[in-house]
Amino acid sequence: MDWAYLFEIALNGVASGGLYALAALAFVLVYKATRVVNIAIGEMLMIGAYLFFAFAASFSLPIWLAVLGAVLGTGLLGAVVERTMIRPLLGEPPISVFMVTVGLASILVGLVEIVWTADQRRLPEFLPKTPVMIGDAFLAPKVAYGSLVALVLIVLVLLVFRFWRGGVALRATASDQAAAYSMGINVPRVFSLAWVASAMIAAVAGIIVGSIGGISSSMGVFGLSVLVVVIVGGLDSVLGALVGGVFIGLVEALAGSYLGGEYKLLATFVVLVGVLMIRPYGLFGTHEIERL
Amino acid sequence: MNAQTKSPLSVRRRSLVLAAGAALAAPLSVHAQAGEDIVIGGSIPMTGVFAFAGIGINAGIADYVKIVNDAGGIKGRKLRYVPEDTGYKVDASVAAFKKITSQNKVNLYYGDSTGFSKTINPELDRSGQILMAGASFATELNDPAKYPNQFLVGPDYTEMFGILLKHIAKEKPGAKVAFVYSDSEFGRDPIEASEAAAKKLGLSVAVKLMTPPGSVDVSTEVIKLRRANPDYTIFHGYVLAPIPEFVQQGKQMGMTSKWMGTFWTMDSSTVMKMGEAGDGFMGVMPYRYYYDTSAKSPMLDKIRQMRPEYQSTAYTQGFLTAMLFTEAAKRTLDAGKPLDGKNLKAALNTIKDFDTGGLIGVPITIKGNSIPVGRVYTADMKAQKMVPSSDWIKLD
Amino acid sequence: MRIGTLKQSYIADAALFDSHTQKTWLGVGTALLLLFPFMASDYWLYLACLVAINVASATGLNILTGYTGLVSLGQAAFMGLGAYTVAIMQTRLGTPFLLNLVAGGIVAMLGGLVVGIPSLRVKGLYLAIATIAASFITHFLFANLKLTGGTSGLSLPPAQLFGLALDTSFRLYWVIVPVTLLMVLGAANLFRTRIGRAFIAIRDRDISAEVLGIPLLRYKLLSFGLSSFYAGVAGGLWAYFFRVVTPESFPLLMSIFFLAAIIVGGMGTILGGIFMTMVPELLKLVFDLLPGGTEMTVFLSPVRTVVFGLLIVGFLVFEPHGLAEVWRRIRRFFHLWPFRS
Repeated sequence: MDWAYLFEIALNGVASGGLYALAALAFVLVYKATRVVNIAIGEMLMIGAYLFFAFAASFSLPIWLAVLGAVLGTGLLGAVVERTMIRPLLGEPPISVFMVTVGLASILVGLVEIVWTADQRRLPEFLPKTPVMIGDAFLAPKVAYGSLVALVLIVLVLLVFRFWRGGVALRATASDQAAAYSMGINVPRVFSLAWVASAMIAAVAGIIVGSIGGISSSMGVFGLSVLVVVIVGGLDSVLGALVGGVFIGLVEALAGSYLGGEYKLLATFVVLVGVLMIRPYGLFGTHEIERL
Repeated sequence: MNAQTKSPLSVRRRSLVLAAGAALAAPLSVHAQAGEDIVIGGSIPMTGVFAFAGIGINAGIADYVKIVNDAGGIKGRKLRYVPEDTGYKVDASVAAFKKITSQNKVNLYYGDSTGFSKTINPELDRSGQILMAGASFATELNDPAKYPNQFLVGPDYTEMFGILLKHIAKEKPGAKVAFVYSDSEFGRDPIEASEAAAKKLGLSVAVKLMTPPGSVDVSTEVIKLRRANPDYTIFHGYVLAPIPEFVQQGKQMGMTSKWMGTFWTMDSSTVMKMGEAGDGFMGVMPYRYYYDTSAKSPMLDKIRQMRPEYQSTAYTQGFLTAMLFTEAAKRTLDAGKPLDGKNLKAALNTIKDFDTGGLIGVPITIKGNSIPVGRVYTADMKAQKMVPSSDWIKLD
Repeated sequence: MRIGTLKQSYIADAALFDSHTQKTWLGVGTALLLLFPFMASDYWLYLACLVAINVASATGLNILTGYTGLVSLGQAAFMGLGAYTVAIMQTRLGTPFLLNLVAGGIVAMLGGLVVGIPSLRVKGLYLAIATIAASFITHFLFANLKLTGGTSGLSLPPAQLFGLALDTSFRLYWVIVPVTLLMVLGAANLFRTRIGRAFIAIRDRDISAEVLGIPLLRYKLLSFGLSSFYAGVAGGLWAYFFRVVTPESFPLLMSIFFLAAIIVGGMGTILGGIFMTMVPELLKLVFDLLPGGTEMTVFLSPVRTVVFGLLIVGFLVFEPHGLAEVWRRIRRFFHLWPFRS
């Protein structure tokens, strides 16, 4: 049993799981506040990455400005989407809203292809290059710093939910809309806030994922892995996003290394089914109590 | 209550329905067959993941057709090129094929993918009218018994690996080689046969890594690769991603392997996109690059004249396909035979020591379904060019 | 205008086609379907067959999602099971074509039953995501088993019916369209029976249904089984139509596509299936008519993607009950004409 190898693989798996956790966070924010399953989360990631590409490569802005621009731009997109596509469907069956996000994904992919064509591209390098060493184990620098960013953001969001008025308002709206209204919470504003925040986090995730794997108009498939993570962690749990992400990243890394590349996705889905059988609402999701 | 008033809406609705009906009925009529022109049909991936190649291929075929027609055509008959976009999807390709062949008399066809070439093969065999080539270099297609109406415009993927392995065996006998390939038909195609070929050349295959399609993070694969410590790593089944990430992480972790790729990675513009990581990247390319002036190539000069900006190797592939189509058609008509699949293929197989005008560095012979010739090139990032690192290698 | 649709027996009341006008239109529709293959070019026949296969599969999904309320993203996977079964049986056993189709349906049904087992524990969205697992597991099986030919897939000879090889779209039309019609009619009939009513009850409120005495697990599994049987037969037809099946032939995107078909069509109709298959083709046709060369094609394809997405979003925002509602409005108008609706 090569422990050093196992440690190295596990470490890299956990770190790449951090990336999943970040994207999952964006998804959970929207679901928690508005009960909408946003399958276009992968495409919003893509928009963030492409905006960064536009600002940093085409306009040659300094990196920090490009990141800011990309994040704000995607946030704006989130607000627009919420206003035009989600708000009108309040009260419709959730499957219809889900379909709207499918349509949205199509629109975003098409827009990216119109402006930037379907070619694969690489983002300008801005993350440090030296590999991170933990003992004898190598950790790819981009992944390491990416998951560090993810961790910081998740802790930030957890704190915000706990202590900031807006965060509390979000949690209130999530548990009972009617009660939130009667407490004087501006529920539509909370919705917009949730979508904007989710979009901004997706943008950050997109920039990191893009700088690792390059960007292309089919980048959105990353959203599928994120879906698995949120189901395992619980659709409306921020902590679940972190734990689920790390867990899935670990499973993928172990399956890929010890069984072979083709087993990665299979292992992930077997884990998914397993978790659902034991805990149908995910590890940390709220148990929906149905009443007659 | 005026029950007789027709609501204006119903009139509008009715005329809309009539107009829609007329519009739909029109294309239902079968189109008249074309006359004397020799038609080259094409399912071309002008959009989608393979778009950069599709646009190049389209331009290449169109340009060659123009050259032939300007010179008077083939025995007075003009060439006509009828492309359809497919987005690199098999159903779209098949639909395009059906559309083009139902509207024209087609004798030559360009297919956009391995999947399509395999799907349409029974149809080709049944109609027997068409000779087909395409963007695929799949090993399975290189079988004249199973695919008698098709051919490859270059070496198949196993032959490409063969050329690379031959080069490796010469440069460093007994070296350790790693294969990194994508989990797709494209990626898996040459791996088994190439492993056997490597063993025959006295090389050892240190590790074979398969990456799931669309995977973003390859750090665990790089760790495995590093542990295997190969002298050469061959990538196959990708266009660009995730090769730069592999190379970059590998170099960061101290790997000394040389990095190589196959045809669809080796276009100059693609390799240049790799940035710093791409310096020294090698691979096999059966054609000369656009900017190659190392030897006399009248066709390349002509292309440079027609198109002043850089043309990809996909363009060359399309151009060359049209050239071989034309040659096969010419030889068939010269022999007084009608243009159908069997005769065109037989004519193609009479091509021996044929000069492609410098697009391929040596005269070519098409004995079966492929052209097993290629050259190893290395990327020179400073000069932003691909430079040759070997002679033109011919496999039996 | 409908005046006095008075029925004198329960059977007449529950009939699928109850008015004279409906029956006339049915006759006209059948006549058109019979004449179509003689008038249309190869390309349009090809499209018609494709539409029929998609309608068959979408109808199956409709039973599961539209009527029983269990959202499933595994329809393409079940089609794949049917297609591969047909391919394996045709190439290795040479069994007759109809037997293969039924076998394909049964294998897919078994797959559907397996996927349906979690449906008692897991609800709503979680179930939907679990069905994605079906997609990936079947893809893995197809790509890695020797039996299924690995990544190159399987190719099969044309189906033989009464000694005639079904190798052109024209011949296949005469098999595919009747099978689809049978399946659609079967589904429509299903909802006049006890089973269909049980499904609808489960969709509306499954706890109440259980209280009323409907055994949930049995009916949910039945729903999964039925819808995957439909998918399996559709997949078998697909295999005979394309004559090559590969693991890439049935991607997750196809399942999403079917789901979109029934939602945009309005749950409970076949219009959606026709709409979703025809719209990309019609868009292509419309854009083909616009002038311009290759550059336009390259530009226009993503425009088509955007328009397609906009259509889905637009339909759902402005008409959440889908095309069916639009159709019902048209029908209501004609029923009440010349009175205002």
